[in-house]
Amino acid sequence: MVEALLSAEDVSKDFAFPRSVVDLLRRRHVTAVHALNGVSLDVRRGETLGIVGESGCGKSTLARCLVRLHDCDRGRVVFDGTDIATLRGAARRRFNARVQMIFQDPYSSLNPRMSVRQILSEALRVHRMRPAGEIDGRIAELLEMVRLPADAADRHPHAFSGGQRQRIGIARALAVEPEVLVADELVSALDVSVQAQVVNLLLELQDRLDLTIVFVAHDLRLVRHISHRVAVMYLGKVVEVAPTEALFTDPRHPYTQALLAAAPEIDPGRRSRRAGARGELPSPIDLPPGCLFHTRCPHAFDRCPRDVPELGPRGPGHAAACHLDAPAPRP
Amino acid sequence: MSHIPRRALSLPRPLLLGGAILLASTLVAAFPGAVAPYDPLAMDYVNLLAPPSAAHPFGTDNFGRDVLSRVLHAYTIDMQIALFATLFPFVFGTLVGAVVGYVGGTPEAVFGRVVDAVITFPFLVLVIAIVSVLGPGLGNMYIAIGVVGWVFYARIVAAEVKVQTRLDYADAGRAMGYTHARIVFRHLLPNAITPAVVYWMTDMALAILLGSSLGYLGLGAQPPAAEWGVQIADGKNFMATAWWISVFPGIAIVITGLGFSLLGDGLAEVLRGRR
Amino acid sequence: MSGPVLRVRDLITTFGQGAQALCAVDGVSFDVGPGEVLGLVGESGSGKSVTLRSLLRLLPAGGHVAGRVEWQGRDVLAMSEAELRGVRGGQISMIFQEPMTALNPVLPVRVQIEENLRAHTDLDGRGRRARSRELMDLVGIPDAGRRLDEYPHQFSGGMRQRVMIAIALASDPKLLLADEPTTALDVTIQDQILHLILDLRDALAMSVVFVTHDLGVVSATCDRMAVMYAGRIVEEGAVRDVFAGPRHAYTRGLLGSIPQAGAERSMLLSIEGTPPGLAAIPPGCAFNPRCDFATEICRAVRPDLAEMAPVHRAACHNAEAVAAAGSPVRSALADG
Repeated sequence: MVEALLSAEDVSKDFAFPRSVVDLLRRRHVTAVHALNGVSLDVRRGETLGIVGESGCGKSTLARCLVRLHDCDRGRVVFDGTDIATLRGAARRRFNARVQMIFQDPYSSLNPRMSVRQILSEALRVHRMRPAGEIDGRIAELLEMVRLPADAADRHPHAFSGGQRQRIGIARALAVEPEVLVADELVSALDVSVQAQVVNLLLELQDRLDLTIVFVAHDLRLVRHISHRVAVMYLGKVVEVAPTEALFTDPRHPYTQALLAAAPEIDPGRRSRRAGARGELPSPIDLPPGCLFHTRCPHAFDRCPRDVPELGPRGPGHAAACHLDAPAPRP
Repeated sequence: MSHIPRRALSLPRPLLLGGAILLASTLVAAFPGAVAPYDPLAMDYVNLLAPPSAAHPFGTDNFGRDVLSRVLHAYTIDMQIALFATLFPFVFGTLVGAVVGYVGGTPEAVFGRVVDAVITFPFLVLVIAIVSVLGPGLGNMYIAIGVVGWVFYARIVAAEVKVQTRLDYADAGRAMGYTHARIVFRHLLPNAITPAVVYWMTDMALAILLGSSLGYLGLGAQPPAAEWGVQIADGKNFMATAWWISVFPGIAIVITGLGFSLLGDGLAEVLRGRR
Repeated sequence: MSGPVLRVRDLITTFGQGAQALCAVDGVSFDVGPGEVLGLVGESGSGKSVTLRSLLRLLPAGGHVAGRVEWQGRDVLAMSEAELRGVRGGQISMIFQEPMTALNPVLPVRVQIEENLRAHTDLDGRGRRARSRELMDLVGIPDAGRRLDEYPHQFSGGMRQRVMIAIALASDPKLLLADEPTTALDVTIQDQILHLILDLRDALAMSVVFVTHDLGVVSATCDRMAVMYAGRIVEEGAVRDVFAGPRHAYTRGLLGSIPQAGAERSMLLSIEGTPPGLAAIPPGCAFNPRCDFATEICRAVRPDLAEMAPVHRAACHNAEAVAAAGSPVRSALADG
């Protein structure tokens, strides 16, 4: 088994609603959105791990826990043998440099008042990546790496298109020479033709710099294209994880099957006239008991609302959390 | 793309007009002797309550002092009031607001109650109460305004910083391992300070009004100093016979206030456009 | 087959006046047949949404539409305001991308459906109540009777979109204009809504014009498609034909930008650069700076839409070369 570089161990995260005075007086319980409910997942050195799921499945929260933008409520995130919650001061900054995040929104993830040069040189200086005299040279290198013209350095973010801004975001992350990149919906705000450019860039950089990438996205086609392994999340849990090919050709969890069936087929010859999944996402405030998917599952039986299924092996590197070993996908 | 430089060159008209008024005001405040025809305190017992004339364009007051010279010399005190009464609230309020908006949680809740407490009282009454405890005079007036005034800046900045904190670039800073101080002061504050700067301009206009009001009530600048509020108070008994004693300082207040307001509007336009 | 229900000819939409006027839609012509789903595809700024809104003259202030939009033989662009009101939300209904902003947040759903029924039908109060319930059932909202009295914020994103469709259907429209109706939705919910629209098309014999940036959605739902770039249609044809053999380099690039099974972790066929802004549309073929097939003529002469094959038109000087390069989409059609 390949060693895990970054792993989530039974991670849970709730976001409590603020309680008003009236709530306190009436001794109402704290209501909370249960964003993550015991996620265990390994990221191996050099791979791309795709994390897919629909909105509210907790994939972005998980990404933020992995880079410690959120601290988890239960469980822990381990990087290179160390629980990241224990890191302080210089050790924490070192971790921040080794595990970097790239954000979804190209319009809000860059400080509008700083030029590209300021953005990049700040990262280089704070982490003392280069002596002062070499900073300009390194900035030119970084811009070249993400295929931006050299004169981009002295412009402000508003002078760039969405795709170019995402490249600046990537350059900022690469400035601190990270080992792991966590990309949260990196291209979902971009036009299709620009998405392809950024995906190509990411693939190329991964080869060139030996990066480990966690690619969080809702677009199944993209995740399939870019990932070595894929984890599917539903309501704050990983329901299935497998090597990409196995997951897409032989999905073992009914939710994965529904998700794959629902994705519009790019080939007009394979059009289906049946909806892939019924029903809607239950509220993440009051989670259903037992298997979280049983309210929408075509295979649900009496055990599903009672027992919580654990992730169990389904093949080499393939695990699914379902009481059935191989539920038949609907035609 | 050709329209962008042109827009940068043509600054908004309120900004230019307000700037011109305030530049002139500042020059007068710095060198009142250079423009005023007489000493503001020199009394001329021959010309008491003289109406506007060639020798005294704004007339004289009940001590025979030249009203024009007093209005011009008052610029020194009133522009000082505009600056000193607002500088501390602006700086301190901005700092507190930035920290409170970024940290959130309990400090924010506590700050919220402070704001509630302060805005429940009428601002002027609160300031008067503090001055009457400390004793009248300009110094105590600054203290009184400072004690209360920072809250308004802090409220504005806290709200704006809170909005900025939710944007990804703040998280990007945290993910880069930057210190909180760097994120707040280098990243968030420059993006959040615009409304506070605009408010500051308006507040300077209000400070002049407040300073004049306190001067009028005898709690601010003390006679015989030339200060517009004091002058208006001096003239109040002669309104029917010598209106010029009070009216010209009043006009000076209006023009200076207008200058700050215009500058604030223009600045808001420029700073927002740049985002 | 009878003639088209909607004929659009030389539609031109401009914003602003004089030399500063920006042309968002530049001479667009297309037909929509009875019961047909036409996909209008393009990236941001291509003019697809403006085209759709221009059909009903639903433009922000400063927008001006020219050309002809023939609906059942009458020109919508020449209609009086009163006539237009009868058509808008009547025979032609529209649904939007973001149902939360398209619905009125302070009115219960019932009022919003009945409002449309009042405007476009002769039903009395009792009839309207019954009909709004039917409509909620029709669009697949469970427990319709109770949910009619709820407010938009009490519905999930997918259910809100269903409510908006119910409102659009209240007037028994013959043409549904859909502006990215599933873009804000999750994939399983998008799938449900797409199937709902197709089912309704069959049940109510409607035509649909579907604006989207997602070629997957086009592939899964549309009969014909028109690809837009910089305010013009660059290729138009049956979805199967266009996917199997694109004749415009832009269409080919778009299709190649989509990751496909079997080619994991390979470089995608991307299009360099970004779509041009309205103020800086390149001369000649607007796509030429980004085009791998561009030749001298592309930089000088703007190509017109020309018939390449039966009902397959493209505006490309090098359509032959593009066709010869083949489709990047591996198709089950070609295999079998």
